Amino acid sequence: MIKALPIAALCLLPLGAAAGVPEVIARDILPGTAGFAEATQALSEASDRDCTMPAMAAPYGAAFDAWLAIAHLRFGPLEEAGRDRAIAFWPDAKGFTPRMLTGLIADQDPVVATPEGFAEVSVAARGLFALERMLYDPQFAYGPDSYGCALTRAISHDLARMAGAIDTEWRDSQAGLMRDAGAPGNTAYLSPDEAARQLYTALLSGLEFNADGRLGRPLGSFDDPRPERAEARRSERSRRNLVLSLQALHGLARDLAGADIPLTDAAFESAIARAEALEDPSFADAADPSGRLKIEIVQQRVQAVRRAVEGEIGPILGVGAGFNSADGD
Amino acid sequence: MIRRLTAAATLGALAAVPAQAQDKTEVLGTYADIALAAYGDSLSTATRLQDAVSALIAQPSAETLEAAKAAWLAARVPYQQTEAFRFGNPIVDDWEGKVNAWPLDEGLIDYVDPSYGGQSDENRYAVLNVIATPSFTLSGQQVDAAQITPALLSDTLQEADSVEANVATGYHAIEFLLWGQDLNGTAPGAGNRPWTDYAAGEACTHGNCDRRGAYLAAASALLVSDLEWMTAQWQGDGAARTALLDNPDAGIIAMLTGMGSLSYGEQAGERMKLGVLLNDPEEEHDCFSDNTHNSHFYDGLGIRNVYLGRYVGVDGTVTSGPALSDLVAAADPQVDAALRGQLDATMARLTELKVAAEGGLSYDMMLARGNDRGEALIMNAVDALVTQTRGIERAVAALNLEQIGFEGSDSLDNPNAVFE
Repeated sequence: MIKALPIAALCLLPLGAAAGVPEVIARDILPGTAGFAEATQALSEASDRDCTMPAMAAPYGAAFDAWLAIAHLRFGPLEEAGRDRAIAFWPDAKGFTPRMLTGLIADQDPVVATPEGFAEVSVAARGLFALERMLYDPQFAYGPDSYGCALTRAISHDLARMAGAIDTEWRDSQAGLMRDAGAPGNTAYLSPDEAARQLYTALLSGLEFNADGRLGRPLGSFDDPRPERAEARRSERSRRNLVLSLQALHGLARDLAGADIPLTDAAFESAIARAEALEDPSFADAADPSGRLKIEIVQQRVQAVRRAVEGEIGPILGVGAGFNSADGD
Repeated sequence: MIRRLTAAATLGALAAVPAQAQDKTEVLGTYADIALAAYGDSLSTATRLQDAVSALIAQPSAETLEAAKAAWLAARVPYQQTEAFRFGNPIVDDWEGKVNAWPLDEGLIDYVDPSYGGQSDENRYAVLNVIATPSFTLSGQQVDAAQITPALLSDTLQEADSVEANVATGYHAIEFLLWGQDLNGTAPGAGNRPWTDYAAGEACTHGNCDRRGAYLAAASALLVSDLEWMTAQWQGDGAARTALLDNPDAGIIAMLTGMGSLSYGEQAGERMKLGVLLNDPEEEHDCFSDNTHNSHFYDGLGIRNVYLGRYVGVDGTVTSGPALSDLVAAADPQVDAALRGQLDATMARLTELKVAAEGGLSYDMMLARGNDRGEALIMNAVDALVTQTRGIERAVAALNLEQIGFEGSDSLDNPNAVFE
């Protein structure tokens, strides 16, 4: 592609395109996939020892924390077999998760007995949000020797299985494909630009998900605020998820750019500080005017991060964003 | 809404190859001609559907109901091919929800099976059943629905209470009124609404047959008028055509944005992969009629039409001309050849899906938990769509259209804008 460009155009191309890809893989992604694999393994083991909520709360929180370090990498191993959806099925606009869980429990569905069987279950009844319902929604309260206990274990084991596969696939193949983008025989990434574009798209999509999803859904409209739509509100993780996601995206941005990005740094710091200062951990105050205003300000700051990234990191990399999986409607 | 703008905004701005401006205008002309032809075919087939619906209401019978269903199926063929004009053209995006919104909480419109459930956290009006309810309160306002009119559907019921699943108009509302709910789960069979749901007097089943007929007539009339409006936008001086030709580089980006967004986020993701992952038979695009395989097939064909600059109309008229493919080939023949191959591969996979569905393995059966062969048919098509999306991104790069996303950005021109 570059060969075909006239000299004049070449001069306009920024230097060091895609230089940050190996750094992102080494500093952000591989530690992230390893951390998620470890945290879900610990969750899985905890569920075997004691499946009830008091014993599960801490390892559940740690697993969710670890997920947020990599949740925005919705391509390759996360996209494979729909793992991103199976790990974090949200938003759930049609209420699939409670409906599917209710169905499994009502039928005492034996599908929870084997990992292979449970891997076939609807993504709505798997992953972190199904587990949140089991642990934090009184409707699904269960005792130690119940079907609910077996279901909770199955969800935990399934998370550990998927997280292990993601970590392995990143280490064994995805990392190499992206580092060797453009090498002969690499059909996934035909040029270094394509690997950089993939990460740049993930960065922008992650910001968009925070602005439109994590913040936009509970905000609803001024006349019709919808705090009940806040992500992970039952475990009161809405604010925490937002902050952890922004921190992970900031790390990705810095390593991907591989250069000073003062505008982007300032925008991230401002957004994260505002997010941390939100009073209600589950955004329940999205419905009252002062709480709402503060959430809207965070949303504007996240949108400002996006503009900073496009203005500052886009030119460094010399790529535009590709299509992302949220491009539909 | 914001999500839709993303691809266009970030892919876009100006290309740096002014010598091709004339070619681009010609390519955009072909694109707009195809839109005009395909929306025109959508209009003519919707008019036939409206006639068939009128006949059903005038003379309810098994035969007139079947004729209306056949007209609906025929109307979907050209319409689905227009979906590739979404995502890149704001005028289409602002309008599209009136005619093809999906998924819907059909209990808003008519009676539903108890298994459907009641009102939900997300939708207070999921079981409103306007056909059985001549007067009700909606978001605090008293609504007089004694007369079911096109205006009631479009101005009051559509997206009632700001809930997208409250779909009162368009193809899928009509589909529900013709087929009814598909209560077969992942077993064979589509919706099985009896023709007597439209019968007069004692023969009427499920009550309010006159109001049901009025609803169906109103929805059909709206579909026709909405398609008339959109067809006009693609005429010689229509707003959709003019907007494209005013800025040829942005127009080319609109073409590629529509192709990529429909391929990946919408069709491969929302419509196909999610259904497999959820194992839910309701998660199919045409869930009442079991026509989902055709919706996917003609969506795929519409994407290919845009790239190859060729559309075959419902009466056999061929619309063709200078194509996006020609532009890409001039910039990088390998990228063009690869993308054409990927588009063909997608059509091959979608054909396999269609063949199996028409042979008896309907789309909802493919979605059943543990149906590995069904899942493979769907996921092979998903993978092909994802692969072609990478090809579309390469075409964007080959045309040198992507360097620009940041050039007009606020933050370069005015660093303080970032902190507004």
